[in-house]
Amino acid sequence: MQSNRLGWLLLAPTLLILAMFGVFPFIYVLFVSFHQWNPFAVNPEMAFNWAANYRRVVFDAQFIASLGVTAAFVFFAVVSELILGYALAQAFMKDFPGKAFFRTIHTLPLIMAPIIVGSVWKLMTTPSIGIIPHLLDNWFGYDLNIGQSAGAAFVLTVIMDIWHWTPLVTLSLIAALVSLPPDPFEQAQIDGAGRWQIFWHITLPMIRPAILATVFIRLMDALRTVDEVLMLTGGGPGSATRYVGVHIFKEVFPRTNYGYGSAISVVVLYVTIVVCWLLYVGLIAPRNKKG
Amino acid sequence: MGFRSRLGVSALALAVASGAAFAQDDEFWKKAAEPYQGVTLRGVTEATPPSNYVREVLAPQFEELTGIRVDIETTSWDQMYDKAIKDMESGTGIYDMIYIEQDIVYAYLARDFLTNITQMLTDNPALKAPSFDEGAFTTFADYFKDDDGGLYGIPMEAFIKVYLYRTDLFGDPEVQAAFKEKTGRDLKPATTHAEYAEIAQFFTDWGKEHDEDLWGTTSQAHTGHPASWYEYVESIAPTFGVYNWGIDAANNYAATVEHGGRMNSPEAKEALKWFLAMRDLAPPESVQSTWTEVASTFAAGRAAQGIVYGENAAWIASDENQSRVVGNVGVALPPLEDGILAQVEGGEGYVGYYDGGAFGLPVTSKNKEAALLFLEYIGQDSVQADWALAGSRITNTATYDDPEVQALDEELGGYFTMLRDSGKLFAGAPPYPFHAQVREAVAPIFYEILTGAIEPDAGLDQMAERAEQELTDLGYRQ
Repeated sequence: MQSNRLGWLLLAPTLLILAMFGVFPFIYVLFVSFHQWNPFAVNPEMAFNWAANYRRVVFDAQFIASLGVTAAFVFFAVVSELILGYALAQAFMKDFPGKAFFRTIHTLPLIMAPIIVGSVWKLMTTPSIGIIPHLLDNWFGYDLNIGQSAGAAFVLTVIMDIWHWTPLVTLSLIAALVSLPPDPFEQAQIDGAGRWQIFWHITLPMIRPAILATVFIRLMDALRTVDEVLMLTGGGPGSATRYVGVHIFKEVFPRTNYGYGSAISVVVLYVTIVVCWLLYVGLIAPRNKKG
Repeated sequence: MGFRSRLGVSALALAVASGAAFAQDDEFWKKAAEPYQGVTLRGVTEATPPSNYVREVLAPQFEELTGIRVDIETTSWDQMYDKAIKDMESGTGIYDMIYIEQDIVYAYLARDFLTNITQMLTDNPALKAPSFDEGAFTTFADYFKDDDGGLYGIPMEAFIKVYLYRTDLFGDPEVQAAFKEKTGRDLKPATTHAEYAEIAQFFTDWGKEHDEDLWGTTSQAHTGHPASWYEYVESIAPTFGVYNWGIDAANNYAATVEHGGRMNSPEAKEALKWFLAMRDLAPPESVQSTWTEVASTFAAGRAAQGIVYGENAAWIASDENQSRVVGNVGVALPPLEDGILAQVEGGEGYVGYYDGGAFGLPVTSKNKEAALLFLEYIGQDSVQADWALAGSRITNTATYDDPEVQALDEELGGYFTMLRDSGKLFAGAPPYPFHAQVREAVAPIFYEILTGAIEPDAGLDQMAERAEQELTDLGYRQ
């Protein structure tokens, strides 16, 4: 009993912080999502409107479109980060001259604030002053203008995300690879297994939990991307990069559509949970069943 | 007594009197600030040259004089609104001063966010500085007054969005001859849209033919930022006779022609097509340009002419560290359709955007009295001239007469003179409390027009309908 009370006492600060910054804000957002509330309307007070905001979300073409481009963004960004991150992790597992230096340099993007990342990429991609359009024009005669080309803007936001977040994936996978026991690999080599067979049948299954955890983190992060995209493209050209995070930001802050913006946030949270659950069911649960 | 002796005696008397007046002023500030020793005032504003001057010069000066510390936070335009509105909405009282851009003041007044400075000074005569006079401001201050004349913000910057052109190019005999040969008329700043377009086409062609990085015009045509929408509704549409965004507030906030509005009128459609045509003659970065990048483009010498926010005029024309066109900048009124100038001079409409802002005192401030003293301090005539030199802004009538300001005016190609003499032809944003809400509702369609995904005519029809829908949802339109 004594130790139980001590346990709760030690947990209390964490639970308090979790409640203050996680649970209560979520409950408040949920509460607001059932209200019509725009402080700059004729009636600036909150008015309960049942599920009208949720009904509107379902038929909101702009939101559906933003969900579509977000799905594409998340897919390309997370898959690329995973492949690149794994390749880099494997490279950093080997010894080569300057390894420590390259590993440090490679993690630098991680410590940059997203808004700075967006600013830097904006500078690098602005026609006439940016290094990227300059080089593409000189080398391939390609005229890069992300203010004009929807495709180029989309690809650039994906590349920017990859540049920013691949180091996180690399670090997670290095941690997983370092912790693998050497025995199975030695046995496989003795049995004559090739590199691909070792990767597919030993490495991948053993680091699967780490991959999944990394994918979950990146998936959730990518779904709520706002700052860097807002800085780079503003969501444009047109609505080409108006990802759900940007869409919610524009609804809630400049437009002060608090009720509807909250409803979209809740729906996006639900979508995120469902996607993560599907991934879990698809990748982890069958393995656990096999026992 | 000879003339020189009399002049000397007069100067001495003036110096003694001024010295006495300054001493008297200093005494007032010290005495008035006594109850607020230890107070720290916090303000939030957009990071612009005038705001930076407040943070770096006026705030330390005030602190030295009164002992009241002033922390001014300068941040981005979006962040500034976000922070100020959240603070006032939730009543936290973090900020004692907030920047109020002219276009948001109506929303703030509708929400009772701001303190009536006139009333507060009447109620607290001990806080009224002898050197502060509400009558010293230019007419721009009227935007921050209520129907009873109560002032809700101390004007701190005021600009007009002007037509800038390169005097070195317009005055070059070779260019003039080529222009005359091509168009049959003399090269001079445009007064009509047709002339402007002709000049823009000429210089874009000239840039290509001579392999120069030169285009005919600037264009604030970002495809994902409200700056492009502002360029159209505030700077282009009025020159075609479409005012107040094409919304008729007196007619149930109608926006569509069908209901009596003008957002999708033939004039609005013509204005939009002209805007798009000029965008196509502008440097390639224009589709990613907000107001800041437009100024940079002009300062880099990449455009022969452009419609540029006045807050940038000073550094473009005079700062060699930032501008390649120093000494080569001319100022003119924006090009207009026939009959618009007469219409505006007759009191109907305006020819462009009168931009600017004020420092206001949130009702949620916990240090209202001390903040009021600071606001009076920055509103005095005596601090205005240096501020004008640093930020090309004028908010007090007397500032125009300062010799140093007049010297800068010459360097700016007469920008200050235009602000004084023709400022009345320009206007701020319409008095809508739903400014950002309607903007954000229609801007996505506008961006699609810019990318070519929607035709201009159809796009304006959609924008007008969307505006009416938003106004209905907000309860303004019945």
